[in-house]
Amino acid sequence: MSTAQALAEAAQPIHPPPTSFWRQYVFSIDHKVIGKQFLWAGLLFLLVGGTLAMLIRWQWAFPYRPVPVLGQVFLGKSGGVIGPATYQQIFTTHGLVMIFFAVTPVLIGCFGNFLIPLMIGARDMAFPKLNMYSFWTFLLSQLLVLASFLTDLGSAGAGWTTSPPLSTNVGTPGLGQTLVVAAIFVTGVSSTMGAINYVTTVIRLRAPGMGYMRLPLTIWGIWLTAILNALFVPVLGSAALLLLLDRNFGTQFFVAGASAVRGGGDPILFQHLFWIFGHPEVYILILPAWGILGDVLPFFARKPHHWYKGTVLAMVIVTVLSAMVYGHHMFMTGMSPLLGEGFMLFTLLISAPSMVVVLNWVLTLWRGSLRFDTPMLFALATMFVFGVGGLTGLFLADISMDLYLHDTMFVVGHFHFTMAAASFLAAMTGIYFWFPKIFGRKLDERLGKAHFWFTFVGITLVFGGQLLAGYAGQQRRLFDPFQYTFIQQLRGLNRWTSFFAFALFAGQFIFVWNFFKTLFGKVASAGANPWEVTTLEWTATGTPPPFHNFDRIPEVVRGPHEFSNPEVRRLTGRDFAGQAEVLPGGGERGLAAAKG
Amino acid sequence: MLGANIRRGAPAGPRPDIPELGRYRLRRTEDEVTSYIGMVIFLGSWAMMFAALFFAYAVVRVRAPMWPPPDQPALPFLVPGLNTVVIAASSGAVLLGVRAHARGRYRRASLLLGVGAGLGAVFLGLQVLVWLGLWRAGLVPSGGPYASVFYALTSFHALHVLVGLAALTVLALRSRARSATRSAVRLWGMFWHFVGVVWGALYVAVYLA
Repeated sequence: MSTAQALAEAAQPIHPPPTSFWRQYVFSIDHKVIGKQFLWAGLLFLLVGGTLAMLIRWQWAFPYRPVPVLGQVFLGKSGGVIGPATYQQIFTTHGLVMIFFAVTPVLIGCFGNFLIPLMIGARDMAFPKLNMYSFWTFLLSQLLVLASFLTDLGSAGAGWTTSPPLSTNVGTPGLGQTLVVAAIFVTGVSSTMGAINYVTTVIRLRAPGMGYMRLPLTIWGIWLTAILNALFVPVLGSAALLLLLDRNFGTQFFVAGASAVRGGGDPILFQHLFWIFGHPEVYILILPAWGILGDVLPFFARKPHHWYKGTVLAMVIVTVLSAMVYGHHMFMTGMSPLLGEGFMLFTLLISAPSMVVVLNWVLTLWRGSLRFDTPMLFALATMFVFGVGGLTGLFLADISMDLYLHDTMFVVGHFHFTMAAASFLAAMTGIYFWFPKIFGRKLDERLGKAHFWFTFVGITLVFGGQLLAGYAGQQRRLFDPFQYTFIQQLRGLNRWTSFFAFALFAGQFIFVWNFFKTLFGKVASAGANPWEVTTLEWTATGTPPPFHNFDRIPEVVRGPHEFSNPEVRRLTGRDFAGQAEVLPGGGERGLAAAKG
Repeated sequence: MLGANIRRGAPAGPRPDIPELGRYRLRRTEDEVTSYIGMVIFLGSWAMMFAALFFAYAVVRVRAPMWPPPDQPALPFLVPGLNTVVIAASSGAVLLGVRAHARGRYRRASLLLGVGAGLGAVFLGLQVLVWLGLWRAGLVPSGGPYASVFYALTSFHALHVLVGLAALTVLALRSRARSATRSAVRLWGMFWHFVGVVWGALYVAVYLA
């Protein structure tokens, strides 16, 4: 054991695992259990959000017709028909649930918690108790959302951006909207607590030898995300706070034109505050996805990541730029054209570092010996849908184009390709890839591939249909788009998009089946390193990892993607070497070389 | 032995060694550095929240035809100014209290933290007086953006003072019983200074400007 290891051991002593049921599974401070809690909570709300999406699609395919099955259960009063007010609540909560309560907990809550200590070689997070509070605060916010559905006037109905004046008492009276705004505030508190924990953990608890340039890209993605969370979620918090004051205490931050001498509040102010947070939020959801891809692609291409440092640099630049572009959401608010052009410039600039990331993925694949396991398929699909999302983003970043496309289904298609498709497929990449580490068993490959094809083809067709409808001029959020003669031509397109969406939704039950079958059925243990990869969670500890993660804190001797190195093959007969693995015979020299 | 002497503040041993040892004992442990970094990130995060509130204030104010509106009372600046002095003094007491605690003078630390908390309570009391006076003069939260800004910013800040006050009281009692950790005292001290600095900005921006 080296000196550095001894110091790390002294700083993070092994504690005995808790024995009581409550401490072990419910109020646990073990990052692995908290990660699983976030996973369950997120997947459950993914189902809620998905169901809401199906209702929206039904409305656009067959407006005024009773919804089969779901209508009987949830819309009994109206005979299963979706009314305009209900429709508003459905699309509002679909967005909010998916972004804040489904994708965020899976990508950041689950992977962040589960992976950070294991991948950097720590025994737990820096602040385990804060971690527990973060989850329970999050659960409280989810309960607030569920409670909002039970209120008199129903849940929130002012769109996921909750923009005033629609979201003030003038536009949306009723407790439901208030509860959802409160839920946004509470989930913001939870995210901030998580972010503080993640940032500190990566700074302080990296194992000896785990320099920043040896971090797996997943950790880079989650770390940069956590920094963005720590900086910009509080801005959303203050927007939610002021909105709550406006709704409950009669203040006038967002209510315009109250009187001549006193002036009035400014609805646009909310949009500023919201998008100062909202644009970084896009990267909060995509950076972990980039990170996961940055590891999974080299793992299954059996090649080191192409220009690792370039990707890291590009991700850092994107993180910085993401804070400077929020105005492109507000081109239509009467913003000064000069200011608008500045925002347009920065927005277009973001595509440069993004392209570095994507090209590095492509060059990683180039002449690799690809293994098409389910995680790899999902990773490749993520690349594709992110490409489509990114390219359509260029249209919207350009002011002259945005004037035409703003508030059409094109915008909906664009952000579904980036935030929904790319984030969701990357989350699936992560779930299929780390499932053996989280639960000790590998998900069934055949079911996984069936799930993949349903999802990938479904997602592309559904969101592609949205892009087409928007390009043809269909506005977003319309209760019955076909009231407008110029949209009536798009009835067939909308209906087919809905059919694909239903198929996509049905396909997800393959995953649910696979998930529970693997978890509770008779499946053999996956072993410590089923994918034959290099990072610490696979190579330096067992499956599933013990309570203290590592019997001995590893000393890292090389980067995260040591693949197809002839020297390693000569010494070990394998095409990969673990990050902390000391090679047998001649290893000392190799070690010295690896250390530089 | 040396340690015990230093803790009691008694003169001891060869003089040059003691400051060295004292410095050594004041050094943060690894765990303390970790929590310190966590606190810095938390405060940075919370500063963004207050920055957003000030941004909202700026936008609303730029849009207003007159500030303050002619039919609404102007904000006092003397009592809040006194409050600035009070919270600065409180911060000073806490600063000394944290130092005393780190040097193992727990009774002194307890006293100073108690003084800090007491001054914090005075601050809140004066703030309540300001609110009452303005409320009687007809300034209520629903009275337009001017009143909105005033009540939202001051009450949100006062909430933070209340939290800090509770923490300081607990720490004062605990450091008397020698059960407060050095890290807890230091970090709550940082929080208290942060709340003070925010008040300074708030006083200048809301009351004076």
